[in-house]
Amino acid sequence: AEVEETLKRIQAHKGVIATMVVNAEGIPIRTTLDNSTTVQYAGLLHQLTMKARSTVRDIDPQNDLTFLRIRSKKHEIMIAPDKEYLLIVVQNPCE
Amino acid sequence: CRLAGFHGNERRGRWGPVGPRPPLAAMFADRTVPGAEVASLWRSSRSALCQPKSCQTGKISTTEAAVQLHTSQDASVQTDQSKDAVQDFQQEVQVDYTSLLSFLQRVEDAVIKELNKNWKSHAFDGFEVNWVDQNETVLCLHTLSYPEAQGQNLQVTSLSWNATGSVVACSYGRLDGEDRSTEKSYICTWNLDRRGLNPQRPDLVVDVPSSVMCVAFHPSQPALIAGGLFSGELVVWDTSRTEDPVVWRTGMTGDTHTDPVYQVDWLPDAKRRNHHRLLSVSTDGKILVWREERDGRLALAEGFAVVAQQVPHRTQLKKLAWGEVAVGVTSLSFSHFDPRVFVVGVEGGYPLKCSTAAETPALHRTGSSVSLRAPVELAFSPHGGPVYSVSCSPFHRQVLNLFLSCGTDGQVHLHSLLQTQPLLSLQLSQKYLFCVRWSPVRPLVFAAASGEGNECSCLTGDVHLFDFERSSQKPALSIKQAGGDHPVYCLEFNTKQTQLLAAGDAAGTVRVWQLSSDFTEQGPREMNQLEQLASEITD
Repeated sequence: AEVEETLKRIQAHKGVIATMVVNAEGIPIRTTLDNSTTVQYAGLLHQLTMKARSTVRDIDPQNDLTFLRIRSKKHEIMIAPDKEYLLIVVQNPCE
Repeated sequence: CRLAGFHGNERRGRWGPVGPRPPLAAMFADRTVPGAEVASLWRSSRSALCQPKSCQTGKISTTEAAVQLHTSQDASVQTDQSKDAVQDFQQEVQVDYTSLLSFLQRVEDAVIKELNKNWKSHAFDGFEVNWVDQNETVLCLHTLSYPEAQGQNLQVTSLSWNATGSVVACSYGRLDGEDRSTEKSYICTWNLDRRGLNPQRPDLVVDVPSSVMCVAFHPSQPALIAGGLFSGELVVWDTSRTEDPVVWRTGMTGDTHTDPVYQVDWLPDAKRRNHHRLLSVSTDGKILVWREERDGRLALAEGFAVVAQQVPHRTQLKKLAWGEVAVGVTSLSFSHFDPRVFVVGVEGGYPLKCSTAAETPALHRTGSSVSLRAPVELAFSPHGGPVYSVSCSPFHRQVLNLFLSCGTDGQVHLHSLLQTQPLLSLQLSQKYLFCVRWSPVRPLVFAAASGEGNECSCLTGDVHLFDFERSSQKPALSIKQAGGDHPVYCLEFNTKQTQLLAAGDAAGTVRVWQLSSDFTEQGPREMNQLEQLASEITD
């Protein structure tokens, strides 16, 4: 229940289009989008996050990835990584 | 004397001498004798005893030069993606709620902070990246025609791009209103991605016994194409078949249209996924939906009839009509937002909002096998002449439901489905407008095809490209049809290769234009601009 509350708070933020939580294997656990889009996002962003993380650690082994943001023409994708989960938020930052 | 051990091995309790011992007892003693062996005469065992002495052939030296295995890469998959493929994942994965909660609590603050920062940030204002080479000009890529059809003075009545975006089909016929029901016409297709494309020779020509007024490719099967004829029939052809390409036809039954079919469309079937049904629109006022029967016939599934008496109040149509007058429907467009809502354009000049969910039966005189319903819910304010084309914006949002209509008064009206007065009324030219289409990639762009009717002496035809971002008063670009001035009757954007626009004219040529990048790349805030435009005008 608290999990839902937290996700609702994030989703209710200005401009947020979608919120999803993905586990360490890239399988989506919670989402506000339809199934097929979620699976697509989850698979692609999971791989990208792993690649980003290994890039950061290769450059400096003492460093680690804390946050990943992808800005595109239409919106911005924000990814908060963790050992077991990934929180993905898609926001449309136009006022 | 008695013979002892007659049968051999006979045992007695004691071997006592019983009378004189017979001298032949030694003959029956137990003894093992080694078995007799006979050497095998088979060749293989004989050769096992052989030894190679010498060989007559010289020694052949070999080395490995190459291997036939190659690396492979996945290029594409032939299976269709089915919508049911993705299961409900939430039931399969075991989730540890405590760790999930602690994770969310850890990241929530950081994420909210970033969301806020993003909302207020101006860091990326006006920042645009060019990934693709910018195309500065509009080019005419191909000028396609079928000389035999041109020799018969046939005009291009309709165009369609196929599901993959590489084939364009056009129908030859005549739009001048005379009885063409027995005049032969053609459907020609060209595959633009093929090497060795000959613009004067279509890849496929289908002979049709009656004038074809409209064509539409199937949205997912690249070889199926449907056409509506002057006689009111519908035919579906399969272009992949080498012999008779006709797959389905309505034939002339009591259900068939009694007037030419001006538009044909493929509707997604609500009941069966990935299945489409044909919809046809004709000036006899009927909008019919057909389903495919197994014997190659198209049977009527459901239908609507637009009758003047049933069009909501405040229209001129009622005043002129006596009895149940059918309203001639010339064009139709479905809303991308609500699949039950569609807009039709009629000869009386009114765009009408209709719904497939309508229940009231239509006051239609001629009987048909399926009862027809009256679909009209709202009549928008009229054009000064018949409406030949309507197009609903593919960029839909909850409130925004825009569509365009164009007519012979040379005006394009931008309407919202919610109100009768147009949001914007553009006098594009003094000529008749035959077709209007929204761009599939840029929400603010649409194209209109113009050309004079037969009455006037000047017959120049243009394709006008309108961009609301640049100006809401005049076209951003007017492409004059080079070489011969004929009215342009139809145009279609290519949804897969979005820089292509095809236009067909009265001379029987189809021109494929490549649009410049500013017509094909969506700017970052276009949707918002569109919404703003709509709300500005309504205020």
